[in-house]
Amino acid sequence: MSTPAGTPMSTPANGNNASTIRLGHGIAFRLSALVLSAVGIIFVVMSTATYFMAREALLKTAEQNARTQAQGLVHRIEARLAPISRVPLGMGYELADGGLDDAGILHRQRQMLLDNPEIFGTAAAFEPFGRNAGQEYFAPYTFRAPLGITHTGLGGAAYRYHAMDWYQIPRELGEIVWSEPYFDEGGGNTLMATCSVPFFTGQGRARRVAGVVTADVSLDWLKRLVASASVLDTGYAWLITRNGTYVTHPAQGVAFNETIFSRAEEHGDLELRRIGQDMVRGGSKLVETTSLHTGKPGFLVYAPLPSTGWSLGVFSPRDELLADVNSLALVSAALGGGGFLLLAGLVAAIARSITRPLRRLRRAAREVADGHLDAALPEVKSSDEVHDLATAFADMQESLKEHIRELTAATASRERIQSELRIASEIQLGILPKTFPPLPGHTEFDLYASLTPAREVGGDFYDFFPCGPDCFCFLIGDVSGKGVPAAFYMAVSRTLIKAVAESVAGASRRRGADRHSPQHGEAQRRIPNPGHILARANNGLAEDNESCMFVTVFCAVLDFATGEVHYASAGHNPPVLLRARAAPEYLPTHGDPVAGAMTGVEFTTDTLTLNPGDALVLYTDGVTEAMNPAQELYGEARLAELLAKLDDRSVRGTCQALAEDVHAFASGAEQSDDITMLVLRYNGMTTGDMTTGDMTTGDSAAADNTTGGHTTGNTTGGSGRNKA
Amino acid sequence: MECKGSKQGAFFVLEVSGRMDALTSQGFETECLACMEAGNTRVVADLGGLEYISSAGLRSILAAAKKLKAAGGDLAFCGLSGIVAEVFTVSGFAKLLPVYATREEALARS
Repeated sequence: MSTPAGTPMSTPANGNNASTIRLGHGIAFRLSALVLSAVGIIFVVMSTATYFMAREALLKTAEQNARTQAQGLVHRIEARLAPISRVPLGMGYELADGGLDDAGILHRQRQMLLDNPEIFGTAAAFEPFGRNAGQEYFAPYTFRAPLGITHTGLGGAAYRYHAMDWYQIPRELGEIVWSEPYFDEGGGNTLMATCSVPFFTGQGRARRVAGVVTADVSLDWLKRLVASASVLDTGYAWLITRNGTYVTHPAQGVAFNETIFSRAEEHGDLELRRIGQDMVRGGSKLVETTSLHTGKPGFLVYAPLPSTGWSLGVFSPRDELLADVNSLALVSAALGGGGFLLLAGLVAAIARSITRPLRRLRRAAREVADGHLDAALPEVKSSDEVHDLATAFADMQESLKEHIRELTAATASRERIQSELRIASEIQLGILPKTFPPLPGHTEFDLYASLTPAREVGGDFYDFFPCGPDCFCFLIGDVSGKGVPAAFYMAVSRTLIKAVAESVAGASRRRGADRHSPQHGEAQRRIPNPGHILARANNGLAEDNESCMFVTVFCAVLDFATGEVHYASAGHNPPVLLRARAAPEYLPTHGDPVAGAMTGVEFTTDTLTLNPGDALVLYTDGVTEAMNPAQELYGEARLAELLAKLDDRSVRGTCQALAEDVHAFASGAEQSDDITMLVLRYNGMTTGDMTTGDMTTGDSAAADNTTGGHTTGNTTGGSGRNKA
Repeated sequence: MECKGSKQGAFFVLEVSGRMDALTSQGFETECLACMEAGNTRVVADLGGLEYISSAGLRSILAAAKKLKAAGGDLAFCGLSGIVAEVFTVSGFAKLLPVYATREEALARS
């Protein structure tokens, strides 16, 4: 792992608030949430699937149960009804072909009632005139009266039983018919139905109905049986006749008063109507429906009672059928939920145990970020990724400390160098003369110079000093390269040139004195020759110049008594001559080489005369090679243009205007070289301030110029000498 | 700054292009020293492709020239133009060192 030193350092140390907030959504939380979500989803899917599958299975069983229960009830009812219907049938057989006499019939009827407690009464009704030729109605009827079994005879003008349903229907159908149930108020005060069985006489084709045997059967037991049939909790059973009349129904006032069709009509229940139709037809089926009685959805099983043609319905409410499924689902949900909670606790504990070292590491990291580089790191005993992280973090802490140690040392060292450079800069700028005007008390000329270093120290310099009677030397120089080496070389160059200039001036003065004073008795002025100065300085600089550094110098000597200027250039940029009321012009140069490159070089000295108001502008290439952001050079043309249109022509004003113009031209581009300039303006001689020490006035200057060959050691072209 | 060297007769020609300033000038000196160590002490620097030369570049040239001279050889220049030619003139290097207008002239000298 690399050491992202910046990351912990740049983290804002916002303390514990952020940490507790972030903990909520930390790795432990996310891991737990992820695992638990997955488990939860699986659990829900499994529970749902189990629930539905179990429900399907249970529903099938429940359906089967409902069918079985209905069938069971049918069988129980049939088991009692079937023997009852066989009783009148047996009686019918006995009566066939006139098998019994009247007393026998009564005896047999009495015996029947005694044998079958369900039978309330029985009649043997004969065809009109069938028993006795003169008797239209013969129907002995034996029934249970409050005082015991009683006999009576049915039929007469008031009761023409041959037209009654109980007689007519079985007679016509030739088979057992159960009547619609009725409530017998006169007889037993009970629910009854009459089972009518036709009996026959004759054989083969002659066989015909001889009469009908009836048995009035009390149906209270049936009512009780159906009502007591328990179907789950709220389920129930009911019975309808073949006409659809309710025989039993759990709801009050439905039995005997309503039919399944009237009830369907009343509630607008088409489904019940269809069910009723099927039941009356003797159908058997299981349908899913909603109970009118309880309002619950559920299953209705219906099946016919074969002996009576009635139909039994059994309704099982769905929710109770599904109670088992629901309780199963509840139990499995409880188990699953408990397991889920257990798992949640477990996962959270594991996740926290994994992230615990991470949290400790985070606290340590925050401490480190706050600057406590020696914060103790937690020990991670495991050998997992967290351990790797802790190790990497420890490495990072070490290298961070190392880095900061180095940085501190480097900063200290840089600050030391900076401070040394600052002092060096002060020293360097300090050795340049800064007294303006340079010769207090002299108004013959004005001079101003400025130096703007590109770095702390640089290689540019200027200098000016008096160097003889009415003589003033001024120069500007530029050392090759920049920085400290250039600064050293600049200091050496400037000192050497000044020393040489003063020495040459001294020599000139002595020589002048030697040559002239015996003849004229006055100090003959000899102006120091700049070419000579440069030649000697060059030899001094070029000797043992291992670094091959060099310096360009423009050196001039002004005779301020006459305005005459002698000058020489060692590879320096040509200065500008600003004549009053004339365009600026560059002084022509001879292409003399730079100083310090090689020994034995000769420099040409030129002469010109300044008239009052004329000026010389000296500069280094920091001015003309100043660059703007578009990499364009300031250039000599621009310099000349600026100098031509100057308003303020004072030396200081000229310097400042030039500096400002160069600055404006650079428009923010970095200054790459020192910018140095020196402006000298000649004002001419004014009366009253002529004396400089023992120097004589310059009224003999014109005469001096005739001797001013100045070609002491140097070969100079004649073109270089301008005579006033 | 780029230097491309090739041996041409008795001379080793260095074609210098680009900018020779404080950052790059050391390269020229190094090239010349490499030539010298390879036994080529007579070097012609073709500055035709040079766009700019600073005082540091001049210092490099001077150092190289001095070392070649000390080794019994020399360093001549050709193809100067524009600002480079101007710098050579103003600084007087044109007087200190042999400068030729064309490479042929530089190669034709004895």
